Amino acid sequence: MITPSKIDEWIHEVEERPSSAVLIIRYIANRLSELASRDEELVAQNIELLSGRKVEEYESRIASLEYQLELLKRQLGGEVVLPTEMPSLTPIQEMLNVLLYTPLGQVLRLEIDPSGLAPTQTIAKIVGELSQDGLQPSVLVTSSLEELLLIFDSGRTVRLPVSHLPTSNAEQLDWQQAFFEEPRIKEELAAIQPITKMPLSETCIQASRRGFVKKTKTSFFTAHLEEDYIGSGVKLRADKTCGLTFANKDDLFVMVSQEGYIFSMQAERLPTAIEEVIHLGITDHIVATFVASRVPSVLFITQNGKAVHRDSSWLEPASSFKSKGQAILSRERREAGIRIVGAAPVEEADWGVFLETDGTLIAHKLSDLLARGSVVTGQSAIQIVSFSVFHMPEIKG
Amino acid sequence: MGLKVGIDFGTSNSGVAIYQGDQVHVLPIDSNNIVPEVVKTILYITQDYRHFIGQEAVELYYKQNINRQRRFVKKWAGEIDYRGSDMHYVRDIYVYMDELQPGRLLQFIKTALRSEKYQGTQVFERYYSLSDIISAYLLALKQRAEDLLGEEIHNVTLGRPVKFSQDGEQDRRAQDTLHQAAVEAGFKQVDFELEPVAAALYYELSLSKPQNVLIFDFGGGTLDLTIMRLGDPLHRNVYASGGISIAGSDFDRAIIQTRMLPHFGKGVVQHDTEIVNLIHTIPDWAALPDLSTPRAKAELERAIQAGEAPVRLKALESMIFNDLAFSFYNMVEATKITLSSWGVAVASMKEKNLDIWELYTRSQFEKDIREYRQQIEQVLMDTVTASGLEPGQIDAVVKTGGSSNIPVFSEMLGRIFGNDRVKASDVFNSVTAGLAIKAHQKS
Repeated sequence: MITPSKIDEWIHEVEERPSSAVLIIRYIANRLSELASRDEELVAQNIELLSGRKVEEYESRIASLEYQLELLKRQLGGEVVLPTEMPSLTPIQEMLNVLLYTPLGQVLRLEIDPSGLAPTQTIAKIVGELSQDGLQPSVLVTSSLEELLLIFDSGRTVRLPVSHLPTSNAEQLDWQQAFFEEPRIKEELAAIQPITKMPLSETCIQASRRGFVKKTKTSFFTAHLEEDYIGSGVKLRADKTCGLTFANKDDLFVMVSQEGYIFSMQAERLPTAIEEVIHLGITDHIVATFVASRVPSVLFITQNGKAVHRDSSWLEPASSFKSKGQAILSRERREAGIRIVGAAPVEEADWGVFLETDGTLIAHKLSDLLARGSVVTGQSAIQIVSFSVFHMPEIKG
Repeated sequence: MGLKVGIDFGTSNSGVAIYQGDQVHVLPIDSNNIVPEVVKTILYITQDYRHFIGQEAVELYYKQNINRQRRFVKKWAGEIDYRGSDMHYVRDIYVYMDELQPGRLLQFIKTALRSEKYQGTQVFERYYSLSDIISAYLLALKQRAEDLLGEEIHNVTLGRPVKFSQDGEQDRRAQDTLHQAAVEAGFKQVDFELEPVAAALYYELSLSKPQNVLIFDFGGGTLDLTIMRLGDPLHRNVYASGGISIAGSDFDRAIIQTRMLPHFGKGVVQHDTEIVNLIHTIPDWAALPDLSTPRAKAELERAIQAGEAPVRLKALESMIFNDLAFSFYNMVEATKITLSSWGVAVASMKEKNLDIWELYTRSQFEKDIREYRQQIEQVLMDTVTASGLEPGQIDAVVKTGGSSNIPVFSEMLGRIFGNDRVKASDVFNSVTAGLAIKAHQKS
């Protein structure tokens, strides 16, 4: 930073000590030559970027990494050992994995064959109490080839492939048989997030129950994952982290609260420091976070099984932080005690797995469910605890 | 019976000397240093509570810390009791600790003796009081000296500035703390001598006839002035002494404040209080390492994303989170030292995301410390007046301490007392040597 006032000061030095003039000229000349060579390097890099050569180089590097990742995934799944000759290209049958997990760190894994799934089908029923120490479980449907990130509310994380979790018997779905990742003192398992596709996204968005978010570049986030610590993502003492979403800068990030308020905003505009983006009432908290731009519609499920379906275009992105949010429930319904248990971006061909208060896990084809308008629970006393949607894998071979 | 040594426990540098066989031997305490007789007053405490001093401490610090990984964990730090008229509750306090931190580097330890507020610091799980810190340093010095001499050292004469503090009570407390630290380090008998008086004793060895001498002891932490009659050991007389808490580290701070902060966003970042506070903490060597918290990182990331002077804030982030603060302060000090020999120096530092290049001239430096210069001249004239002598009656002005080589102060002394009377002593060792003479005389 050479400013006119500094130049005046240098001239003053030369007036006081003429012998300094030679040194000043020499130092400046050295600096100029250094800056000139750096400028040349930058221009060369810019030319590479503009000509697309750099992009091609990165694309080929990404392709190679993706191939290596695929091999590793298969290895971790225990299904394929690195081939010594060209593989026979026998497709791996992808299985659906329904995971049930509690804040206490218990995880039940149920593997189901997607090809034999009827449009509405009871998958399993939990033996014994549904809630553990009064803490309700959550459900997540994922692929058998996924890698999972277990996120604790302290910010600690644990990574493990789905295939490393023991599978449970659908007839004997019992918490006593659950895989147990023991939380540390005062810690709870806040969420489980599949992370295989994380490198395809530019940012990771961590959300808290009280409506705070922080955005981190995926490259930084990967470094945090290496240290098994991503930060608690909270500012308030009574707050807890509740989820992680991967997004690109143009994606619409959505958060849905239990009392039916929705916050949406372009991921690019989200804060990098922890900030309150939706101002929730004291009894309210966030129940779902996701990215909505890649699918045509969003599904909201209430605790009494009602399915509310909206086009993605219905979402009104917020113009500022700390907004009250867009309401999905009318005031009357909210006052009548109707609450949202979850929300997710969906396509017509998608399916959902619903966990009911009596411990039953039921799979529904969403097109049928949306036509009915509600999840058939059988008994009016039974409510929905949690749900997870999934895309039916392609049946190969 | 044990040996007697003199120890100059300085703000930036220290030294140990012994008077043997009618000669002073300043011990080569720090064999890793360019000048082995001078040891940096730096203490590095590792996670397993081992203590390293001098160049060894610096090298280990660099090895273990630069560009290292960090992992912040939330740790319970204590609790606060809230008591209101109708309620009482206890609140837990948590702090974020970097659990991968391999050690703590402590420097300018002596400056802490001047402070009323500084009582000590937490190093990992252990609390080190100021006396613990100094005693750890003195113990390491003592052990090195004993290894060199092959004998136990029992007695020490420690140097002390004329005034640790203008406040008499604080001044007494500072000497008590230093005394306690020396006892804890294993010295059985501890005496003190004023640092300029010690320098005078060393100078006296070169005198053939009595003289009125002004000792201008200008180091890293204080300027100490003593006007004495020297040359006849039986009729030594201190006419006056004075001093001021301005010295090398204040000049470094002035350079950082005026010339370095713009490289980190000063003047460009205006309304972002969090970031402005981070920038203004840079001159505070003790506070800067503590800025490496997840919160500061998030604030910086936010500001960088928002396009607030991104290049300069990236530089700030790099300095804080790559543990470059120590290198940065050294670079500034080295620039200042270069200006004692040359009219121009370049303050430069190139690290990841950090590229400082600042052409700095002696006249700029003199402008930046003008206020200090005026205060120093004032205290110098006050001390001469208090001695009852006229400047013309001072036969010699003896400069000692690293900062006494700064040309503007040599010129000041030459202007007041005459260039032929200004004598350069051994800037780093004359106090140490004088303390050894004093230790010998007390036996």
